[in-house]
Order: sequence, then structure tokens, then C-alpha cells
Amino acid sequence: MSITARNNINIKGSGSRTIVFAHGFGCDQNMWRLVSPAFEGEFRTILYDHVGAGGSDLSAYVPEKYATLSGYADDLVEIGETFGLKNAIFVGHSVSSMIGVLASLKAPGMFGSLVLVGPSPSYINRDDYIGGFSRGDIEELLESLDDNYLGWSAAMAPAIIGNPDRPELGEELTNSFCRTDPDIAKAFARVTFTSDNRADLLNVTARTLILQCREDIIASEDVGNFVHRTIPGSRLVLLNATGHCPNLSAPDEVIAAIRDFV
Amino acid sequence: MPPLPPPFGFEDLFDNAPCGYLTLGPDGRIEMVNATLLGWVGRTREELVGRKVPELLNVAGRIFYETHFAPLLRMQGFLNEIALDLKTSEGKRRAVLANAVERRQADGRTVATYVVLFPASERRRYERDLVEARAAAERASKELAAFNKTLGERIEAAVAERVEAEAGLLAERETAELREQFIAVLGHDLRNPLASISAAARVLLREPLSERGVRVLALMQGSVTRMAGLIDNVLDFARGRLGGGIGLVCDADEPLESVLIQVVDELRAGAPDRLINTEFSLTEPVFCDRSRIGQLVSNLLGNALTYGAIDEPVRVQAFTEAGALEISVANGGQPISEESFLNLFQPFFRGKVLGSQQGLGLGLHIASEIAKAHGGTISVVSDQIETRFTFRMQTAGPQRS
Repeated sequence: MSITARNNINIKGSGSRTIVFAHGFGCDQNMWRLVSPAFEGEFRTILYDHVGAGGSDLSAYVPEKYATLSGYADDLVEIGETFGLKNAIFVGHSVSSMIGVLASLKAPGMFGSLVLVGPSPSYINRDDYIGGFSRGDIEELLESLDDNYLGWSAAMAPAIIGNPDRPELGEELTNSFCRTDPDIAKAFARVTFTSDNRADLLNVTARTLILQCREDIIASEDVGNFVHRTIPGSRLVLLNATGHCPNLSAPDEVIAAIRDFV
Repeated sequence: MPPLPPPFGFEDLFDNAPCGYLTLGPDGRIEMVNATLLGWVGRTREELVGRKVPELLNVAGRIFYETHFAPLLRMQGFLNEIALDLKTSEGKRRAVLANAVERRQADGRTVATYVVLFPASERRRYERDLVEARAAAERASKELAAFNKTLGERIEAAVAERVEAEAGLLAERETAELREQFIAVLGHDLRNPLASISAAARVLLREPLSERGVRVLALMQGSVTRMAGLIDNVLDFARGRLGGGIGLVCDADEPLESVLIQVVDELRAGAPDRLINTEFSLTEPVFCDRSRIGQLVSNLLGNALTYGAIDEPVRVQAFTEAGALEISVANGGQPISEESFLNLFQPFFRGKVLGSQQGLGLGLHIASEIAKAHGGTISVVSDQIETRFTFRMQTAGPQRS
């Protein structure tokens, strides 16, 4: 199976340098639809879906491999090798920030610059570190995923349409951008919200930009500051955007900050 | 749109709609909230206006809102049937389904978001049941698969075992058939030369002979008789095993006694130095196969001569009484051991005896088969005084069912 098919890789634009955009927990590469086109004029852009999300090949989902962020980072390194990336720019949202950090450590020189959007090395509070969630909160989240939430409507839509030969009819109706296999969604939630990559931050040597939103309950300003303090020489930009997805709610601000950095 | 009749109006339509209703400003903060929703969460309008939707949710709901709800709404401009849990002022949860739509300006900027919430406790319970049912089905399916696997393995092993056993059985059966056919042919072929020897001995008896010659001829006759008996037994046994059973030709036309006398005389001739006492009182006709009864008595008497004490007489008694025939053969000597008792009538069972007298071990087996064929029995009593085999049958012959 090709890596392109496995990770639903889409390459656009052209330029001497490459920007890889990685989506976070929840949706897929569509998260970057308001941001990545702005860079296609000067850069080659690579968008991809993590295995298990969006248009990736679900049959490539190996529970053991993807039980750690390191498994996802291996995929990113493979993508980098496939496209011969050197000194490229990685833009990762949410949990992909840490996936990018791990990939930069695994393959020195592949990514010269990291842009971390709403990063958190640990969502769970540990010792005197405040990640924002207690272990109980995260357990509650994982339990609630058993109730299926979006997975429910995603799973039901084709049946409701009653036309399995033409699944595209179903896609138009439902919340297709965030559709995923419920079991994989739960496993991804587990690895996302239980990982602890604080120690990895210290080893980052790539130029690093942290984009921090206001009122982000997933990754608070305190967490952003922790990442900024811990990654040597990193730069932090506090956006005016609120919430966890500035790539959707304030794409212009995100574009400007990235352009300024690269 | 026609105005609603007083005291109602659009305000009432909004406030008391049968669903929760929220409008959000461009920054995602609550601008309007209807009375229905306020009632559900137990809050006042003042408490909620200016807040964000995640603040109405539990922790999981907040994460979900930020990672799914908000981005999805931004991307497609609407969302339908998103399951959320509202947190009430009492700390309880209220399951709802949310639909939302963004109102955008021409330049794409969001001006407002409308959110409606429908109670979904029943549906949530139903969904949980479905999830549980699916989990149960998956477990059952896994168990079934495991069971099928072991079942398959067990069947395979059983089939292999069975095939092996049947092959063995078949081979054994073939061997047994061959053996029995061989015995039948052998028995048949042995009879002819034996008949010649017997005829030759009778011819010789009519010649003038020395005393020693007469005695030797008598021994020869005895051996021929014994040999003939053995061959009969072998043939009957083989025939029985081949499915023919012991064939009987019964009638009550001739007296039985003469047959018995002939049998005793034959054996007496073969054992001239043994004493055989007879006592016959056959007053009723007996419906039987006389030659078979003769074979039975010959076998019993042959046994008595072989196993009994040489210095004690063998007693043959036969009488009829009240519709029953009883023939017994008794000898002295060592009683039959206990372990031998169990197998006396089994084919090829032989008691302990010296050298040349050794038989095939078919005599008692054939005798009991003949008794059975006549609807009769053979019983044994054996003690220090005597060993007595007693054959009993109804003089009316075998009862046909």
C-alpha cells in the first residue's frame, strides 16, 4: 500500500520549501482548508490524514502501533522520507503539535521549523504541572465516546439514506468532515489525552513557533507558556482568536503569524 | 406572517418552544436563550447570556465541543444531531441532541449561530442499549468463533480417530472373515480323510486280528470319533460366526435314547480303560435335533473324560419328567476353579490339561449354543465330590416366538 493512499496525502502548490500540515484530534485535513491555500503560491504544501481519520486507509490502522503518539510520528517521518523533505516546515494543530515534535527528534534535519497550534504536552494535570484536566475528566471523556456521539450519526447516515451503493449521498447529509470509525476515535482520544511529552520538549532543536489562542479550554495559555518556556529558543504568539481551532475561526491571523515566522 | 393571537407573540414562540433555543454572537457567546432551555438547566437568563456553550457542558462535552462541534460548524456552516450532555444547576446531566446553523454575511463572516436542543434521554438510553448490545454481540461472536475453532479441531480429531478405528475394524473384520472361512474349508476338507480312516478301521475289524490289533483299532476308532467331534465343533463355530448360526432339524419321530447310547459307545471305544456309567429313562418323546443333542452329549462326555479323574467313573444320566428333558454328565476329580467358571462357555476356553489331550476349547461353547438353540440351558455344579454339567430343555422343543 502506498503511503499516499494510507495517509490520504494531498500535495499542492510549488516552491523550494515544503510545509506539512497535520490535523489534530477530531477532524481531518479539512481543518486547514482556510489556511493552507494561502501558502500554495510560495511553498509546496502537503496535507494528510492520520491513519484512522478522514480519508486515510482504515485497514492500515494497527491498534498496537497507534497506541502511542510515536506510531503517528513514525508515519510522519515516512511521509517526510517519501517526499525527500529537508529543512521543511511542519504545522501541527492540537495533538499533532506533539507528533511533529516527536518526528523532528526522530529525523533530525527533516523539519527545520515547527509551528505548533494550540500545543499541549500533557492534557492531564501531573504533579505541579497544570494540563487543564484531571485523570477523572479524561476517563469521563473516554467513557462518553462509548456513547458514540458523532460516530453515531456517521455510522447511521448511509442506512438512513438507504442507498449503500451511493455512499456519497450519505456524505452530503452528515457531519462528514469529522467522521471516523468510533473505535479508532476512542483509541485516538485515549492516546491524545493521556500522553505525556513534556520531557521531549527539552530536546527540540528546530525553530519553533507556538500559536496560542485565548480562552482555549483544551490547551490553556498556561500550557502554551509552559511549552514556550521548555522548548529552547521558541517563539510564542498569542492570537486574538478564541477557542481551540484558530485555523478555522481566525485563519487570517494564523496565516499572518506563520508567514511572519517562515 | 400573520401575528399570533394575544397574549402570544413571537417572543412566546421563541421562549416556550418545545425545544431549547440559543443564539450565539460572532464570538460564540450566548446572546439569546429561551425559557425552555433555562428551565432545563435551572439557570436564569442573566446567568447564561455572555457565556459560551461549553460552560453548559460536562468536561467530556467541552472537549467534544471544541474538537468536533465548533470546527464542524465552521467548516460546513451547520450541524445536525450532535449528542451533548447539558449540566444542570443541580449537577445533573441532561442528554440533548443539537442542531446548529451559522448565519453568515456576504463576505463569509459569521454574524450569528442558531442552536436548537432537543431532549434525547430516551434516545441516549436506546443508543447505550445498542452499544451494549453490539458489544455483547461482538463478545458472543468471539466466543462462538473460539468455540467453532475448538469444535472444528475436536471434530477433526474425532473424525481422524474414527477413520483410524474403522480402518482397524475393517481390517480386523476382514481378517476374522478370512480366518473363519479358512476354518470352515479346513473343517470340511478334514472330514473326508477322516471318513476314509473310519471306514478302513471298520473293514479291518472284520479281519482276523490279534488281541493287540483289536485294541489298537478300538483306540483308532476313539481317535476318529474325537477328531470328528472336533471338526464338527470347528465347523459349527465357524458357521455360527459367519452368521449361519446353529442349524436345527427337529422332530420327535425317533427315540433319543439310541442316539445317546451310540455317542457313549463311540467315546467308550476311544477310552477303553475308562468306566462310563449310564442311566437313561426317556419316557416322553422329545422334539429336538437328535444328532445335535448327540453332539452336545458327546462334547460334555468328551470333556468329562478329558478333565475328570481317571480312576473314577463318568456318569451319564438322561431322563424326562413332566415335559422336561434333563441330561447330565458328571465326573470326579478336581473341581473347576472359580476363574474358569466365568469363561467355561466362551469359545477357545480350555482348562488345564496335559499335552495331547488339549482340545480347541470349542466343546462347551458349541454345547451351550446347541442348548440355546433348543431353548434349553446348561448348568454346572462343581465341588470336591463331582463336576456335573446338566442340560435341560422342554420336551416340546424350542419355543418359537
